[in-house]
Amino acid sequence: MKFVSLALRNFKEVYRDPLALGFLLAFPLLFMLLFGAAMGGGSTPAYSVGVLDEDETELSSRFVTDVLEEIPTLKIALFENEVEAANSLRDSNIRAFIKIPSGFGDEVAKSYQQQDPDIVLHVTYDESDFVVSSQILSTVNTAVRSFAQIHIPVTINTSHINVETQVTQMDFVAPGIIIFGLLIMVPTAARIMVKDKEKGYMARMLTTPTRPWEFITGYSLALLVIAIVQIIIFIILGVAFGMSIVGNIFLAFLIFFLTALCSIGIGMVVAALSKTENQAEPLCWLIAMPLAVLSGVWFSQEMMPEYIQFIGNLFPFAHSVSAARLVIIRGADFSAVLDSIIFLAGWAAAVFTLGIVLFRQKMKG
Amino acid sequence: MWRHKLSEQELNREIDDSLAIQTFDLSRSFGPIRAVNDLNIDISRGELFALLGPNGSGKTTTINMLCCLLKPTRGTAHVLGFDINRQSNSVKSLIGTSPQDTTLSERLSPLENLELMARLNNVAPDKAKKWSAGLVEVMGLGDRAKDQVGKFSGGMKRRLSIAMSLISDPAVVFLDEPTLGLDPQARRALWDYIGNLKGEKTILLTTHYMEEADYLADRVGIIDEGKIAALGTSIDLKSMVIDKQIVVINGWNITIAALGSIKSRYQDVKVNGGQVIIAGKNLDFKEITDYVHSTGAIIRSAYFKEPSLEDAYLRITGKELKA
Repeated sequence: MKFVSLALRNFKEVYRDPLALGFLLAFPLLFMLLFGAAMGGGSTPAYSVGVLDEDETELSSRFVTDVLEEIPTLKIALFENEVEAANSLRDSNIRAFIKIPSGFGDEVAKSYQQQDPDIVLHVTYDESDFVVSSQILSTVNTAVRSFAQIHIPVTINTSHINVETQVTQMDFVAPGIIIFGLLIMVPTAARIMVKDKEKGYMARMLTTPTRPWEFITGYSLALLVIAIVQIIIFIILGVAFGMSIVGNIFLAFLIFFLTALCSIGIGMVVAALSKTENQAEPLCWLIAMPLAVLSGVWFSQEMMPEYIQFIGNLFPFAHSVSAARLVIIRGADFSAVLDSIIFLAGWAAAVFTLGIVLFRQKMKG
Repeated sequence: MWRHKLSEQELNREIDDSLAIQTFDLSRSFGPIRAVNDLNIDISRGELFALLGPNGSGKTTTINMLCCLLKPTRGTAHVLGFDINRQSNSVKSLIGTSPQDTTLSERLSPLENLELMARLNNVAPDKAKKWSAGLVEVMGLGDRAKDQVGKFSGGMKRRLSIAMSLISDPAVVFLDEPTLGLDPQARRALWDYIGNLKGEKTILLTTHYMEEADYLADRVGIIDEGKIAALGTSIDLKSMVIDKQIVVINGWNITIAALGSIKSRYQDVKVNGGQVIIAGKNLDFKEITDYVHSTGAIIRSAYFKEPSLEDAYLRITGKELKA
């Protein structure tokens, strides 16, 4: 199989180049260390958040005391009325306030009884601090969902709540960091092939009876091995910095693997279109950076306008981030993320097909 | 860009499948520039054919079309009976190519480079290993067979590049400027190796070194601005200028005034450093040396020069070919 020979050659070219290998392995290491130190270890920043409980039911008060007050990143202040809470927010004493409307407890109870709930929370936040607001929103959102999804009617399984409320910032951020790390495979993938084009080595290989799919597979296989090593490093370091994987680790791995495939496929398309590294590099970043933002890698997609969310969801990485978070934070099983897995696999297949078609066209000179 | 493939009925001449390479109005344009213009050449099986021309004359473009890297914008070519436009995969499985830039996989050893190229040419893994080991020895790279080629000298890289073009035992080999940038010793060693392949394989070699074409080629095609300006054996081409004699004088004290009077007396005079070259019909050697001496120049040596391929090139294209 020619593509195996080609993949071996590409792999040797990378692992025998100390600088390239160092970059590829050190990159996830540095990345995780940086974000791990910033978000995982040491003192976790706590944001003051006001709570106004208009429901005043047992469930709403348990939500406040057993869930919100247990979240280490939130410092809960209780308010009696909305005006008082709004003033406090305006004075920057709190970063946001959550209004629990009446009916909240009934809706949560519905969820416990396997009925469709309509849980509404009103969160008012200081939009001038986008990063903090998005983190608070994301934290509250997950807390509500974990609270409402406990399938034990009436009585609350407190130990379960405790597990769920120990969700750290690292748990939220780590899947995003890993997906971003895999997005960086776009320029890496493109660079390896374009380098061969620029040096003329590709032209030499193109004089052999090798088919486009064999070239694309040969390049991608080598990159996939590198991506797998990167994913393992990312996961190990993520766990070291406090990321707890509630779900199946292999399912999380599968999601990351498919994400890597999509990145490599996009890299192959860019490589097929570019003649030089100077053409490929900016094009890759032009693709990777907006996709990182649109996909909710850094900021929760829920913070974005709906049309931006819609655009983000057309690309694989938004699905990777949400599926990875579901598995890692909420322990979602295979069936819960099957849609995302199919979407990612379909995207990977489509982008590789496009890469092969473009490569074939360019081969024709 | 005009792109038109000729159907068999439109071919300007008869197809001869006994030939190794046959081109039919082979042309390629890059925007408004016609890099190769209606090229028609026939190369027999086992022949070593040299395309001689300066940079930008269309040599590499011709090779790139023949090895299916570049589509002709007009015309076509047959390689061992296969059409480069329609049967590129068949063509590719019969050829070996050594490009102008010594492109190797720098982090791989010679053995690994050869084995990869063999595999890409559909050679079975066991044969690929065996042939690579053999070729590494033949090319004198045996003692460095497992070193990374990035640290090799230019000459070693060239030898490996040529070996890579031969690894699949192809019937037709394209060597694009195989000795470019090599020192005379390394160049001579490569000539000997390429010379040994004559008769065994059909070789199309491009060069802008006169002596290379003269030494190696069975026939030489002088290519200028994408067209074949002259074609024949080295002797044929030289005989085109046999009617002209050349006297070369090496000397000192050849002043501007002396040169002016020499140029006024003889029609074709060239000066190269301390060398005066006088060309013309029925030159009188004694009369010339006496006259040059009379201008005050001190003659160190003077001789009649045999016409060279360079003289033929100059006569045919009206240009000097600078290496």
